[in-house]
Amino acid sequence: MSSLTHVRRRNSSAWLIPNDGTRTNHQLRRDMRRFDDTDEVDLVVVGCGAGGSVLMQRLARAGWRVVGFDAGPFWDPDDDWVSDEAGSHDLYWTDPRVTAGENPVVLGSNNSGRGVGGSMVHFAGYAPRLHPSDFSTYSNDGVGADWPISYRELAPYYQLIEEELPVAGEDWPWGEPHSYPHQAHPISGNGMVFQRGALELGIPVRVGPVAITNGRFGNRPHCIYRGFCLQGCKVNAKASPLITHVPDALAHGAEIRAKAMVSAVVVDDDSGRVTGVRYFQGGVERFQRAAMVAVCGYAIETPRLLLNSATKRWPQGLANDHDQVGRYVMVQGAPQAAGRFDDEIRMYKAPPPEVTTEAFYETDPTKPYQRGFSIQTVSPLPITWAEHVAAQGHWGPVLREYMRDYVHWATLGALCELLPLAENRVTLDEEADRYGLPVARFTYSYCDNDNQLIDAARQRQREILEAAGATEVIVIDRTAHLVGGARMSATPEAGVVDRDLRSWSIPNLYLVDGSVLPTQGSANPALTIMALAARAADRLITGQRGGITAQ
Amino acid sequence: MGRGILRRPAESGANTPGGLPSRFPGFDVLAEVDHWDAATVGTVLSRLTQPPALRFFSPDEEAVGRALFDQILDQRAEPKIPILDMVDARLAEGQTDGWHYADLPEDGEAFKRSFAALDEDAVDAYGVRFASLPWYDQTDLVQTVQDRDGDWHGLAAGDIWDLWSRYACTAFYSHPWAWNEIGFGGPAYPRGYKNLGINALEPWEAADQSDQDPVGRGEEIEQARRRHAEARTRELRSKDPTGPDGVGDRLSSDK
Ligand SMILES: Cc1cc2nc3c(=O)[nH]c(=O)nc-3n(C[C@H](O)[C@H](O)[C@H](O)COP(=O)(O)OP(=O)(O)OC[C@H]3O[C@@H](n4cnc5c(N)ncnc54)[C@H](O)[C@@H]3O)c2cc1C
Ligand code: SF4
Repeated sequence: MSSLTHVRRRNSSAWLIPNDGTRTNHQLRRDMRRFDDTDEVDLVVVGCGAGGSVLMQRLARAGWRVVGFDAGPFWDPDDDWVSDEAGSHDLYWTDPRVTAGENPVVLGSNNSGRGVGGSMVHFAGYAPRLHPSDFSTYSNDGVGADWPISYRELAPYYQLIEEELPVAGEDWPWGEPHSYPHQAHPISGNGMVFQRGALELGIPVRVGPVAITNGRFGNRPHCIYRGFCLQGCKVNAKASPLITHVPDALAHGAEIRAKAMVSAVVVDDDSGRVTGVRYFQGGVERFQRAAMVAVCGYAIETPRLLLNSATKRWPQGLANDHDQVGRYVMVQGAPQAAGRFDDEIRMYKAPPPEVTTEAFYETDPTKPYQRGFSIQTVSPLPITWAEHVAAQGHWGPVLREYMRDYVHWATLGALCELLPLAENRVTLDEEADRYGLPVARFTYSYCDNDNQLIDAARQRQREILEAAGATEVIVIDRTAHLVGGARMSATPEAGVVDRDLRSWSIPNLYLVDGSVLPTQGSANPALTIMALAARAADRLITGQRGGITAQ
Repeated sequence: MGRGILRRPAESGANTPGGLPSRFPGFDVLAEVDHWDAATVGTVLSRLTQPPALRFFSPDEEAVGRALFDQILDQRAEPKIPILDMVDARLAEGQTDGWHYADLPEDGEAFKRSFAALDEDAVDAYGVRFASLPWYDQTDLVQTVQDRDGDWHGLAAGDIWDLWSRYACTAFYSHPWAWNEIGFGGPAYPRGYKNLGINALEPWEAADQSDQDPVGRGEEIEQARRRHAEARTRELRSKDPTGPDGVGDRLSSDK
């Protein structure tokens, strides 16, 4: 209870949404403060996702005049979202992109959202922390990179965000041991299969951690176990910034300008400072003045926007003095294994995120590879399940036969820590989008360590399912998540932003999103992105605002 | 909501693609429509109405596409899920996934070019257009594309296969008839699921009855293959009563 009061005092979002069975506070949106293009606002946030929304909420509360732009809509879960896979197409970033390299990454629904709330609108809901070791993989293991901040510095922010989402799960034994504000959820057949197989092999597993309410939280109801987390939660049980941070930001005077695509961050070459952003709204290109800009467009759109904003002084793209923008993008290797059981599993019931093991997360000196992987339940709905079957080469009558058997299958997914590589990068393609802006070309290839990790994770999942009694196992190779592309670094040559997420070369340009991660661990990234944003906001509030707006 | 218009007469039971008997007797996901929210009802039931007139594919492309998608999802009898119409609507409305592989053009163009290529292969191998081929010759040709590594008429064969199956499966398994076939409970808002766990059913779900059949899982799949192969032999025989040489080789194609 007391922790609830604390949360409400610093972020009242959950109390600002209605408690009458509808999901959106329309009044709050109608009464939203509105700025003029000619007002020099304190901060423009480009992208209202995990990072952008937390930053906006914190600074609005501190009295900053903030405008958040998002290319996509300002969602209303009641009218805009459906309990349906194919019908959720509009949640994804589906503007054109080119995917290349030896291991081209599947984009769209697989990794980027579009609209207020960002990718978390359709994220699965896992909210693990990174481990302390993730902040120094280069020193520890000779791979990846060291962060310019330590786990210690981020830990308090992990806890704040875990309370604000809130996160539910069993006491966590891995990384730095910690507990969660909400108890673990009951689990479904899929989670039980994972527990059974793991128990058989002596692998420790835990239920959680998921950003899904277990019990009422403000006016957010309990999860109803309907299983459509990846299609947007119509219940308001699963966290996304749309309900965890945006309402409080609006209540503190922030403006959100939705369906407004930022086409360039504008810099005055003489002063070397950002002056605002150009954006398209309703087909008209406009300019919003700002004393500071934070780009929060995620690992592909953030580098793309910086590259598309080139000036005479920064001909290779803003903040790209050392050819770092767009480099070291990472996805996680995410092979998934499905097992067939005579029992009915019906994995579509309950949230797909249920049970996790991080027992293979850390570097194991007996293995030929560095770093590790985690394993979690995933629960593909029919269309996604068809991808699993089709990936085995099945089509025609055999595909239909496997599909008919859907209720008997359980599915696990791994997250492998693929290493940051300079050549895995975002560049500009010749192709342009409907605004005439060059689209992102995303090139990805695995290194040996990556391939070894993926193999090991594939094998381990197979063993767990077999130990649980699976009569047949099929495996599919996938990737998940995206981070990097404008990483933070200890020196200007090695990255794009410093430890406070301020760009090395332009003092009033910040990047506050997944693109700043130097490594990714085997944890799903959203909690870390939000914690970094909360930390960056604190740094801005305590020290630097005077320097920015005093002019 | 929408019940009266869109549900079939009760005696016909739940619809499945091709009217095949269900492993989940008595389960009809559409009987649950009253428990869904309005936005979802609108989205799902629209798939049961007459699809809009084609806007994207030309008649030639339509002919190839219909036959190809029916092959990929083994749709051999009415009622069929109108895959081609659903893909046409997506492409006409620009509802693509946005991204494309560097070695393929964007999705619409990739479909058009690959359909033309399949037609060309049909003419080369059999002297007739793809859509006019008997079912099993179509099967063989489609199999050659799947088996292919690398370039196919200037397109990356693997990526084309991926594109075809992605769009075809998305259309097919978004349709409530397919949900009936696989026992999927469908939309569950605002009701949710109350009985979680192994072999745990909601009162309105139906258990899989196929376990009553002693045939094991692997055997079932084998049977699907055999049925497929036998029917193909019959069709080849009916074209040439003496039975062509090499029929056996041509049968081994689906894997
Ligand atoms: C299917 C799926 C499942 C996932 N599951 C999990 C999970 O279980 N746990 C987890 O931790 N993470 C998960 N993720 C990843 C997680 O959602 C992201 O890592 C996280 O949301 C990224 O945060 P961000 O702030 O960097 O960007 P986002 O949250 O993606 O926000 C970026 C926003 O910027 C907007 N934007 C971009 N460019 C512009 C522009 N030029 N102008 C205006 N607006 C712009 C976009 O519309 C978007 O709303 C999942 C992702 C997907 C797709
Ligand atoms: S399972 Fe729970 S959290 Fe997931 S979408 Fe449904 S109600 Fe929301």
